[in-house]
Amino acid sequence: MLVLTRKVNQSIVIGDDIEVVVLEVRGEQVRIGVRAPRAIAIHRKEVYEQILQENLKAASASADDLVSLESRLAEDGNL
Amino acid sequence: MITCIETTRFGRIEVDEEAVITFPQGLFGFEERRRFVVLCLDEKSPFRWLQSLEDPSLAFVVIEPRHFMPDYAPTISDADVEALGLEADTPYLTFVIVTIPPGKPEEMTANLMGPIIINAATRIAHQVIVEDEDYTTKHSILEEMKKTQSKVRKGADAGTHAQGEPKHCDRR
Repeated sequence: MLVLTRKVNQSIVIGDDIEVVVLEVRGEQVRIGVRAPRAIAIHRKEVYEQILQENLKAASASADDLVSLESRLAEDGNL
Repeated sequence: MITCIETTRFGRIEVDEEAVITFPQGLFGFEERRRFVVLCLDEKSPFRWLQSLEDPSLAFVVIEPRHFMPDYAPTISDADVEALGLEADTPYLTFVIVTIPPGKPEEMTANLMGPIIINAATRIAHQVIVEDEDYTTKHSILEEMKKTQSKVRKGADAGTHAQGEPKHCDRR
């Protein structure tokens, strides 16, 4: 990993069109601004990871489980 | 144009090219899978399958949140609105992915934090990240259904039947 030391209001550029700016440092928190083309998705890593993990779990759904759930819902008058 | 595709769960099915939904960035964890169809196996059920056309074994159970949470109103970022090509009057559909723990369907949850938004005019879709505090990746659908059961009734399902019942192709 490339490691750079920056002060507040200094930035780094990645490629031609991405800029990461250090806006504020307050104790253990760092506020960062990212300037990038709109097509580039930028997310907090833990949120991104959470959704990715949930997708992986959801992808193994079994058709039989859904059918048994649907019949149960129908019995309960929920469908 | 109608083509036949192989699926692990449903065998060979017919797919109308016009019903294909394109995810230009795939889904999180499945970035290489871009082309999907929404399958309806039971007209009475609000659940649908989002089936990959590129991986026979990849399919997600999805549901429109209005069936269990009529007031679901995620904030979609400007970047996502632009990527989806949504204008003020563009029709769009919202689905959420359902996780069904193997053998324990009653514990199913919906991912309200990563909904799928489909531009109904272009059939371009994105899975977006919603950072509203109320929406989690594991929201119990049955709990919500119990709450809204009396309010929401089946029917008035316009827009979700584009694909209709999957038709099975003759094996040759």
